[in-house]
Amino acid sequence: MSIALERRAVRGGAPGAIRRAVTSDIGARIASYLFLLLVWQLIALYEDRFPTPAEVFGFLWIEVTAGSHGGVVRGQFLEHFAATLPRFALGIAISMALGMVTGVVIGASKVAEALFKDTLLVLLALPAIIWAFLTQMWLGLGDDAVVITTFLSAFPFAAVNVVQGVQAIPRDLRRMSSAFGVSTYRRFRYLQVPAVTGYVFAGLRFAVIIGWNAVLLGEWFSASEGVGWRSRYWYDANRYKGFVGWVLVFILFIVLLDRLVLVRLQRRAFRWRDAQLSAIEREAEEVQLGVTGA
Amino acid sequence: MATLRVDHLNKTFPAIERGSESTTAIDDLSFELSGYVFVSVVGPSGCGKSTLLNIVSAIDAPTTGTVSVFEGDRPARFGYVFQDPRLLPWRTVMQNMLYVQDGKGSDAHDHALDYLGMVGLEDAGGKFPSQLSGGMQQRVGIARAFSVEPDLLLMDEPFSHLDAITARSLREQLQEIWVRTKKTVLFVTHDVMEAVQLSDRIIVLAQGGRLYADIPIELPRPRRASDTAVATAQAQILQRFEAMQEEVEQTRGDAEVSAAP
Repeated sequence: MSIALERRAVRGGAPGAIRRAVTSDIGARIASYLFLLLVWQLIALYEDRFPTPAEVFGFLWIEVTAGSHGGVVRGQFLEHFAATLPRFALGIAISMALGMVTGVVIGASKVAEALFKDTLLVLLALPAIIWAFLTQMWLGLGDDAVVITTFLSAFPFAAVNVVQGVQAIPRDLRRMSSAFGVSTYRRFRYLQVPAVTGYVFAGLRFAVIIGWNAVLLGEWFSASEGVGWRSRYWYDANRYKGFVGWVLVFILFIVLLDRLVLVRLQRRAFRWRDAQLSAIEREAEEVQLGVTGA
Repeated sequence: MATLRVDHLNKTFPAIERGSESTTAIDDLSFELSGYVFVSVVGPSGCGKSTLLNIVSAIDAPTTGTVSVFEGDRPARFGYVFQDPRLLPWRTVMQNMLYVQDGKGSDAHDHALDYLGMVGLEDAGGKFPSQLSGGMQQRVGIARAFSVEPDLLLMDEPFSHLDAITARSLREQLQEIWVRTKKTVLFVTHDVMEAVQLSDRIIVLAQGGRLYADIPIELPRPRRASDTAVATAQAQILQRFEAMQEEVEQTRGDAEVSAAP
């Protein structure tokens, strides 16, 4: 007994605290980023064509702040973002709107499912780069090609998720609604829409991630400004730190968008699910409400 | 309060696979109930109890025969309590109550609150179903069914998924509400004891959906599970029920003997 206690005491000491800090959610995340930076630094030490983290961050700092440097116009960081974001937003908005309509139709109708489900699978399997090439061939340079690339790449992900959502509306609740003669409008508003909401959010997250990938590819081939175009600019100029720097920016943007906006929206929509109480809390509630079973 | 008339009702389900036989769920069933009465339909599983309820509530159609429910000359309104609570998980208790109401606004809200009060949940309106225990959720289901002021209230084994103590307390509460609101109730259960405690009349179905017995229960209310009179009646009915089971097994045995080569 005393040995066991001693062991626990040792575990609870300084090494335990470090282990807890490293394995906690935030700690683990920071540790993984530091590890990646370390690996990156090591590779850059032995490989000339690989810029070091310091070079890349230094470059980004100049890209964000400086006016002009060595004859190359810089400091256009925000302008390029300002060019990309409306294309991205429009592409995602169209894919979500059409994705929801298509998803409801395919999810609710057996005939529509038989007709279009395979088409949707083919669309899911097509990589964004194919659309980037095709829209450039069809439409030439400009916003249209970029927006349509984004839409075509993101749309099937939105639609497929909505299809699953519509097919997953609980049969018991549908029967309950018909037994009580609930009106079509109320069923739509309070049963069908909320049942599908979770799937719409899943679709939105997929659409945003795939769409971001697609908007950059679209800009790579069809734009003359924007985040995707800017990374190509540095790539074509053989400035690897510029290219890698912009790749980092893409990643950072999508991670922040997902963590700060999408996850929060999703949590808000699922307030009812998070309201789940533990058995002990529930018992306390029952006592408070004076409705215990006995 | 409605009149329910079941007239030579038959329901057969077609064979699922080629070569298998079709199943008779209800076999020439006739009965009638009317007014302020609590009627239970009891029988072993597979005797067509739930099928009967589905046909009465027009979820399913009869093969032959008729089922009519009327309230004067207008179509009757139904209330339904299911085995599980069937609440919308993303709506609060109050919003679940309002989901099935015709009206809106503060009147509908007060109306719903009255019925939540009857099951002791007037303070739970703002909670989500996941915050309530199974028994409390089923109370909401009962309040919801009464709140539409149904002419005919259909209950499909509403206490079968609850623990014994919760089920017992809900049975007593159901009796109180029923006495207060005076509804026509058709209650389906496989639990003979429960049927005796709650009902004015028990319709016993045998395997294959045949009417086996129609037994009046004349005991004063409120009836508690611990009352001697209730216990005595339960024992008597249970004996008849066992006799029926034996009879059925006997017939089945005879049929097997005569079918043997």
